[in-house]
Amino acid sequence: MHKIEAMIQPSKLDAVKEALVEIGVEGMTILEARGHGRQKGHTEFYRGREYSVDLLPKVKLETVVSDELLERAIQAIATAARTGKIGDGKIFVSKVDEVIRIRNDERGETAL
Amino acid sequence: MRYKAAMLELAAAFQAGAIDGAGFVGGRSAAVDTLLRALWARAVASEERLRDGVTLLATGGYGRQELFPFSDGDLLFGLTGGGMEREVKEAIRSISQQMWDAGARFAPVTRRLSECERMDPENVEFSLALLDARHVAGDQAAGDHFLHRLRSRLFGKDRQLIERGILALTRSRHAKFGHTLFHLEPNVKDCPGGLRDAHVCRWLAQLEAGDAAGIEAQRPAPDAEFEQAVAFLSGLRCFLHLLHERDDNTLDWAAQDRAAAASVGVAREGGAERQAAPDAAYWMRIYFRNARSIDRAMRLALARGSAAEKRPKAMRGLAGRRAAVSLPEPYVVAGDRIALQPGAAHASATAADPETVLRLFAAMAASDLTLDGAIETDLAAGLARLASQMEDGASLWHRLRAILMGRNAGAALRVMHAVGLLDLLLPEFHGIDSLVIRDAYHRYTVDEHTFVAIDTLHGLGEQTGRPLDPWSSRFAQLRGELPHPELLYLAALMHDTGKGRSTGDHTVESARLAGSVLGRLELDADEAALVVTLVRHHLEMSAALRRDIFDAETIRSFAGKVQTHEALKMLTLFTYADLNAVHPDALTAWKAENLWRLYLATSTYLDHSVDEERVGTRATELVARVSATLPGSEEAVARFLEGFPERYVRTRGAEQIRTHFQMAARLGEDAVQLDFRYAPSVSELVLVSVDRASLFANVAGVLAAWGMNVVTADAFSNRHGVVVDSFRFTDSFRTLELNESERSRFVANLHDSLSGRLSVEKLLSGRRRGRPRRLEISVEPRITFNDTASTHSTLLEVVTDDTPGLLHALSLTLAAHGCNVEVALIDTEGERAIDVFYLTRDGRRLEAAEKTHLIAALTEAVASNAR
Repeated sequence: MHKIEAMIQPSKLDAVKEALVEIGVEGMTILEARGHGRQKGHTEFYRGREYSVDLLPKVKLETVVSDELLERAIQAIATAARTGKIGDGKIFVSKVDEVIRIRNDERGETAL
Repeated sequence: MRYKAAMLELAAAFQAGAIDGAGFVGGRSAAVDTLLRALWARAVASEERLRDGVTLLATGGYGRQELFPFSDGDLLFGLTGGGMEREVKEAIRSISQQMWDAGARFAPVTRRLSECERMDPENVEFSLALLDARHVAGDQAAGDHFLHRLRSRLFGKDRQLIERGILALTRSRHAKFGHTLFHLEPNVKDCPGGLRDAHVCRWLAQLEAGDAAGIEAQRPAPDAEFEQAVAFLSGLRCFLHLLHERDDNTLDWAAQDRAAAASVGVAREGGAERQAAPDAAYWMRIYFRNARSIDRAMRLALARGSAAEKRPKAMRGLAGRRAAVSLPEPYVVAGDRIALQPGAAHASATAADPETVLRLFAAMAASDLTLDGAIETDLAAGLARLASQMEDGASLWHRLRAILMGRNAGAALRVMHAVGLLDLLLPEFHGIDSLVIRDAYHRYTVDEHTFVAIDTLHGLGEQTGRPLDPWSSRFAQLRGELPHPELLYLAALMHDTGKGRSTGDHTVESARLAGSVLGRLELDADEAALVVTLVRHHLEMSAALRRDIFDAETIRSFAGKVQTHEALKMLTLFTYADLNAVHPDALTAWKAENLWRLYLATSTYLDHSVDEERVGTRATELVARVSATLPGSEEAVARFLEGFPERYVRTRGAEQIRTHFQMAARLGEDAVQLDFRYAPSVSELVLVSVDRASLFANVAGVLAAWGMNVVTADAFSNRHGVVVDSFRFTDSFRTLELNESERSRFVANLHDSLSGRLSVEKLLSGRRRGRPRRLEISVEPRITFNDTASTHSTLLEVVTDDTPGLLHALSLTLAAHGCNVEVALIDTEGERAIDVFYLTRDGRRLEAAEKTHLIAALTEAVASNAR
């Protein structure tokens, strides 16, 4: 099992969600986030006042998938979230040792 | 076994519609009475000593003779004499067991009279249960004695303690439900507007009216609407119990469908069988309407209770604000309520006078006062007469605006809605009365959503301890910049009315309904157009938020929809409020930030793209509107409009453009056409002339010389070199306000200086001498150029402290450097002036060296003007 954490553009959230549901990833957690990578922020002026946009709005999507689904899930996210411009985001993948369903103590992939 | 059979019979009769909720709960109560009396008779037969001194009292719901199908009953074995504990204990054990076996679930308690008389502040519920106690079986004399002593105590010495206890319990129960009755899956017993509230109303009324002597007769005067609502909820609760087969009072999705299909409460309410079962959404409106009747009674009772409670110190600071409330006769402020003047004739006559009633609600909206129950009742009763005297038109809008602009507009509107007044004024609103949006996203009914949105707008900038506070303050500033905030509130009131009528795009229907309201209220065409635009496009900003807000195309297309700064600000504020009113967590700080960014980007786009979009030769629709009352002038109008920036036609109504066109047509007679409109707050001057050097600078100079402070200004020119310069300014020294004759001299002065007969410098030197020295400038002026915003002019933005004569100094410097002002947008925010000029020199953009010179010259001009 692997955990996928994807930082994506907020405007791409719906597309990414749909793509994941289509390949059979049903559960996910969405977090409203702010941040920047190499893209950095920029400073804007509004009516003479400086307004710095150093942290940009992002959406963080988290899901845990079985090994078999992993590659397809990554592809689905990458394809749906890509605009080709700087700031499209990143996908982080890490190993998950165990999953426990709190309701009935079910463990392993069936608990996903 | 007879009891079980009786229950089955009752359930069958209820499901067949032969009896209603009251019939069921009364029937079950009576069946339990019968059972209990039989069991007690048997117990007495076997133990003679139980005959005297023991009373079986029904308390709580059972005492009220309201036993719902799966409710537990409360039974009190009351002992008046001493001893006997052992005998009674045995009897109680046996009776409880037999009742349990019979299927009647009961919670018995045994108390001596002296124990019952001691009020326990920790257990107010027990005292409340005793309020409804009645003798069922046992020693009648003991029962009478017991009840008499109990009531003397409850309605006498302990009355205030109990009242306070009830209020505290009610408030904490309401807090659990977020103080609103508009839940998607309400609990018909405990929610605000539920049966518990109905009981509380009755208890409070009983406590208020009752005394130790004659409490039996002191039932509160029945209010038909309230009683009907109680009957509805009783029936519904029976239905839910039988449906869930346990004591579960949640009206969940599934139960709503079932209740609607079974037409619970509907046939009886209408008096006749309905043809088809209502759909769940329609049926839920009936539920909410009933719950609201109870909620209204509850709120009034709570307000009365709070007034009776000693007001905490923190509240006393409000006294000053209250004193300032101006109430129409015969209403007065009593505590934190608006009440009828003591000794005044019955209010029903005044309650039917539209002027008085609307002023009353304006006062309520402007303060934090609630309305006395008697007034609400009078209003509801006088509605028909009120309807016959109500007039549409500007005076109604004047009154409605006063209500909408009050800090507590939401509270006033809710009461107006509850008594039927709002629906009378705006029948368009009736369609969304208690309308449920059946999705997991919305929390409130559509009418409540509307009021929450209005509350949100008024509450901007108030600190609530939520993470949203900094954003709320920022949007509050935006609200302060609106020239016509009342239009925003009106749009908010109308924005979802279309949901009551259409199945398609509700914004279209809402805009249509808003249009008819605006017509009746006789708003200016410009104002009406703004409100309709706002309603029609009220989802556009939310939609844009779902796209990439850093993408130029998103901004461009959104800006194209809002078109003006005023509409953009309104829509931004509206979107904030609309999101916040969906449910308490729908608007996060993250969303608020994105909304603000979208606003910024669009605002900048609107300022920086003025020069790009010009009115073409094909603007036929616009030409038709402008030339509507000037037959045969189409061609001339088209010629006049050609080449004006789109911004000019978007920010002005057809009538204004028509006036400018007519002024331009008279340029042959007089090359300087002035239109001056004096107003005590902000006056307006429009100059139409043929463009030439220093024109804009000269007007600014004359205004400065007269001590006028320019708030906003803009300058536009068409393809044929005709300029329309508009200035909005305040009269700092009240020259024009106090000396009416000076107004014509002011206009003559302007005319002479623009025709070159009078030197602006000479006028200004007189003013400069008398001017007091100003403080040193606090902010370095920021002067920036932008060559990317426009394809053929250079954009200059000057941000600096606003000083009198600043605009003249800037525009004169520009003229001295040979710069032609294509477009000017002058704005003031507090002490800061934000001036944007689109410049060309000899028909081209400025070069680098020219810019450097200009920056130095402008900096010097700003500094010397401030000295």
